[in-house]
Amino acid sequence: MMPLAQQGFTLAWRSLVPLKNSPGQLIGYVLQPVLMVAVFVYLFGGAAAGGDRHTAVLYALPGVLAQSALMATIATGVNLNTDLHNGVFDRFRSLPIARAAPLLGRVLADLCLLGVSVGMALLVGLVVGFRIGTGPVQVVVAVGLILAIAVALSWGSALLGLVSKTPAAMQVTATAVIMPLTLGSSAFLPIGSVPGWLQAWMRVNPASHLADAVRGLLVGHPYDSHLGVDILVTLGWVAVMLAVFVPLAVRAYRRRI
Amino acid sequence: MRYAIEAEGLVKRFDETVALAGVDLAAAEGTVLGLLGRNGAGKTTAVRILATLARPDAGTARVGGHDVVRSPDKVRKLIGLTGQYASVDENLTGAQNLFMIGRLLGMSRPDAWARAAALLARFGLSGAAERGAKGYSGGMRRRLDLAASLVGDPRIIYLDEPTTGLDPHARVELWDVVRALADDGVTVLLTTQYMDEADQLADAIAVLDRGTVVASGTPDSLKAEVGGQRLEVRPARPEHREAVAGILAGLAGREPERRRDVLWVPVSDLSLPPEVFRRLDEAGIPVAELSVRHPSLDEVFLALTKTSGAPEDPAGQQEPAATMERTPA
Repeated sequence: MMPLAQQGFTLAWRSLVPLKNSPGQLIGYVLQPVLMVAVFVYLFGGAAAGGDRHTAVLYALPGVLAQSALMATIATGVNLNTDLHNGVFDRFRSLPIARAAPLLGRVLADLCLLGVSVGMALLVGLVVGFRIGTGPVQVVVAVGLILAIAVALSWGSALLGLVSKTPAAMQVTATAVIMPLTLGSSAFLPIGSVPGWLQAWMRVNPASHLADAVRGLLVGHPYDSHLGVDILVTLGWVAVMLAVFVPLAVRAYRRRI
Repeated sequence: MRYAIEAEGLVKRFDETVALAGVDLAAAEGTVLGLLGRNGAGKTTAVRILATLARPDAGTARVGGHDVVRSPDKVRKLIGLTGQYASVDENLTGAQNLFMIGRLLGMSRPDAWARAAALLARFGLSGAAERGAKGYSGGMRRRLDLAASLVGDPRIIYLDEPTTGLDPHARVELWDVVRALADDGVTVLLTTQYMDEADQLADAIAVLDRGTVVASGTPDSLKAEVGGQRLEVRPARPEHREAVAGILAGLAGREPERRRDVLWVPVSDLSLPPEVFRRLDEAGIPVAELSVRHPSLDEVFLALTKTSGAPEDPAGQQEPAATMERTPA
């Protein structure tokens, strides 16, 4: 195995193995999507879809999947910042391992946890009436798209975690960034249903393209009218975020030394 | 002689604070170098530079012949680091902690588990192998930390205040481990606040105070440097203190040192004590105590570092320099 891969997996293992000992820590990852489905399908969803709960589930659930993924990336920065204050990071830095390994390990571990979140959201969705209207290929592409954007955003979260003074400060800043991205997108409300100024933001918001792409891929008609564009724009954002955040995060990590 | 650790003119500043103001260090291969100093003297900063965790602002350091700034990866392959605060992962078990380090160093899974088991046995932690490190006692934690720094079989080991906060029993156990390492030919850089610890373990000592080396040599040469015997006088009544000081100054040819109500001068000539006794008697000054004795090791240490004023409470606070490093403004 490549040294960097072995180091990354080892450090991801280090973050995940405590959850096996105390699975209680997983409860946040499980509860959050359940709560989101409840809020956006039952509380707001009915109103948005004109009282039709089935339409509401079909529209909102892909949005909940996208939002769960985006929200879960906050954990990367919080956990990284917590680790920085922990003596064990000094040891990692004194070992002959790749500079990026501790960051890679963190991102990999959080990707697994994020998978739990998204999987849980999908499960709850299926229970309350969501049905996949397309085929397995589309489902795989949808999951891949969610994971890709989550990885890219995790590096941004890692960067923020590295430049923040405390985990709490990191959490506040990250939430302030993520909330307008997820709530101010077409994840839960159709673009046509909001005021003009908000429409302008929703159109450029990458979370809208992600939510629309996932919706088109999982539900199909009538949400797949501009599916190709949404997938391409989302992948474009993934590439841009990786190109910007990865080098900056590695640099910030070196500077913390 | 080949040096495993060589540092010249190391300088490190943190904003307004000068943590190191030009430090030279040298540890011959296979020896134990004791870096002695109080909290804030710069010990941890020096170790962090030598462990490639911090960059010096000026000066050079070579570890195993490799420059710590230019070839940090080569240095990291040679060293093991045990920090001032046990840097074990509390959320893992003892065995998992060591397994993780083994895997990071490129061992296969079976090798890493075997290495973990061997080290746990060596440090008397086999019984606690499957328990979370969170539940370990202070002494167990230090031993696990030390074991973690030995996974890669390093030839050079840094021990940053390994016994601070340990009870006397655990301290002696750790000393035995350090001695065993030295017997194996490992070069050890040990920082400590305790003179007796340096005296017990180190082949050479460098005393660090306010970021500079104020004295260095073997433990014996340091004791000799600060002086041999001293004559101590404690007047029975405090109002006689100045009169006693005058008599001591006149006979010894220098102002006496003071420590609470005791005045003392170095004894260079054994005719001094009876002469002092006679003069005190003539002056009619009652004396509570008059003795000739060797300075304790702690007094040597205090004498060498007394420029910093009163000694701080050695309660194991972190050095300010290290704190600033971890949370830069």
